[in-house]
Amino acid sequence: MSTITYQAPLDPEGMVQTPQRPWRHKPRSFTMAVALAVVIPAVISAALFFFSPIPGAIVLTVIYFPLQLVASGIAAWATRGVRGIADSIIIVNAIGSTVFSVVVLLSLLGSLVVRGLRALSPHFIYQNSVFINPSTPLEYGGIGHALVGTILIVAIASLIAVPIGIATAVYITEVRGKAVPYVRFFVQAMSGVPSVVAGLFILTIAVSTGWFSQNALAGGLAYAILMLPTVARTAEEVLKLIPDELRTGALALGSTRARTVMRVVLPAAKTGIITAILLGIARVIGETAPLLLAAGNNDGTVINPFGQAIASIPVYIFNNVAVPYPDAVARAWGAALALMILIAVLFTLARVLGRGRVGRAK
Amino acid sequence: MFSRLVTGAAFTSLIVLAGIAIFLGVQAVSAFQTQGLDFIFSTGWDINTDPPTAGIWGMLYGSVLLAVIGLVIAVPVALMLSIFMVFIAPRKLSSVLTNLIDLLAAIPSVIIGLWAFYILNPPAEQWQQLLNQYLGWIPIFQNTSQNFSGTPFIAGLVLAIMMIPIITSISREVLSRTPPDLVNAAEALGCSLWTMLRYVALPYGRGGIVGGVMLGLGRALGETIAVFFVLKLTFETNWYHIIESGGGSIATLIVSRFGEVSGPEELNLLLAAGFFLFLGTIGVNIVANLIVNRTGRLQK
Repeated sequence: MSTITYQAPLDPEGMVQTPQRPWRHKPRSFTMAVALAVVIPAVISAALFFFSPIPGAIVLTVIYFPLQLVASGIAAWATRGVRGIADSIIIVNAIGSTVFSVVVLLSLLGSLVVRGLRALSPHFIYQNSVFINPSTPLEYGGIGHALVGTILIVAIASLIAVPIGIATAVYITEVRGKAVPYVRFFVQAMSGVPSVVAGLFILTIAVSTGWFSQNALAGGLAYAILMLPTVARTAEEVLKLIPDELRTGALALGSTRARTVMRVVLPAAKTGIITAILLGIARVIGETAPLLLAAGNNDGTVINPFGQAIASIPVYIFNNVAVPYPDAVARAWGAALALMILIAVLFTLARVLGRGRVGRAK
Repeated sequence: MFSRLVTGAAFTSLIVLAGIAIFLGVQAVSAFQTQGLDFIFSTGWDINTDPPTAGIWGMLYGSVLLAVIGLVIAVPVALMLSIFMVFIAPRKLSSVLTNLIDLLAAIPSVIIGLWAFYILNPPAEQWQQLLNQYLGWIPIFQNTSQNFSGTPFIAGLVLAIMMIPIITSISREVLSRTPPDLVNAAEALGCSLWTMLRYVALPYGRGGIVGGVMLGLGRALGETIAVFFVLKLTFETNWYHIIESGGGSIATLIVSRFGEVSGPEELNLLLAAGFFLFLGTIGVNIVANLIVNRTGRLQK
């Protein structure tokens, strides 16, 4: 209403019109055709699913999907001619693929929540598993020791991977040496190292040198290998966003290259660097294979990073999956839910911080 | 001083890669000394002989077979999904989907394995039974034992679920960078969605999509834990019976034998197997990155 009272004095003859967007106009026959093409196959398939003995998977693949293709093809042919048929096939397949992926994701998250909540409770977070065996009821025991282990291992990995990763990014964006393309290439190649190979590598060093055995340090080293490329690449993207005026300004004031980087460029990119670290942690925190090989497992809480084998959440899940005791399996789901929440928090933090950073750079 | 320090750190990735190649390569050499060429061309794992005899051909082949099954499922789904997100869906739905796909990519493989073991496995066994019942005359769907658990098909399906987010995110990005001028011009000339995709978007994004598929392949070859839970590891080469129980995978071999490793000789064999896994994945990954980088440069 307000727009009309505002427009009336300016345009008494009604010359100015709101845009009609004629290309948006869909004839009623088109809407009808689409509706029929959606409803008819669904109704037929639902009827077969509920009132015939044919298994659901066959109804879906042999009856519903081809029927949907044919119905959409006919609808497209009736409204748009022969050329519409190829479009309708693409659209049906595209929507089908999307539905498939979303169903898989929802099934994953849904089962995590439904089955994980049974085990999740305060003592599940802080107790360890010293006196726990697979048949112990859920009132006792938890992932406290695994949580401590994961935090310790991730901390060690970060202590190693973050400085090296940031230095790699600084080399690419600030030092800009001759080897930049090669460094980029090797960082990319390193991101392709499978996690199990990272674990094997640390294990080989441990076995062949005898410097250390399965412990938090070895686990942290294996994690660092996986974390480094993520930190380096994200930090590189972030440092590229820092305007050159800051660098030239600092250099013009007489500061050295090192001072420029340490006192001007890196502080300016602080939140972005934190994002890079968070993404690196989120990348590795769920990796199981390297810890299985390099860090081992333990039922008790271990704090000494150079001592004996240490527990971690992924390995805790791993050991409780294929166990014939429902309570142990419930613990696996509970730990999986806790891990997923942890990862979701890390990603959300990284995204929130990342958004602030980009906003200020512009 | 500063720039030397930074330059040194920048070459860490090279040092680590070389270190992996050398340390695992040494193990592979000593495995060849005890096993001969049979180590890669025969199939078997017997730790009771002295020295233990081992051949990883079935595992090497199995890794490739699983990856191929995964690709056959994942590539069409991921491609169609990215076409939906870029050219069909409204912008809001598209950004919601992007977040969902990123979330799928962030789920650790141990959780995917847990889900696959308890949620995906029971219906998947039924699907395979139906495949065998109605399409059993096709050689790949033969199953003589009527045991449908731990098959390459389920493992490939799980790998496909893990590859879909990787392939989708890269092909979505490549397709969305198709110059809007070209898309608009095609539509103004009367192209339908299909002809626009066929003659403008897909040729433009082809390199990037191939690179994304290869990145997914690299992940599938190296995937360990999720496959561990859904594949029954057998030391016989399962050539093409994809819904027959039993198959192989290098990465899974390492984890499943490591838990009960008998001694330094067997550990040496596992490390040597890891060397071939490293060679395969790093090779695929390097080629993939070269392709993706080249298309990235072309677009600038």
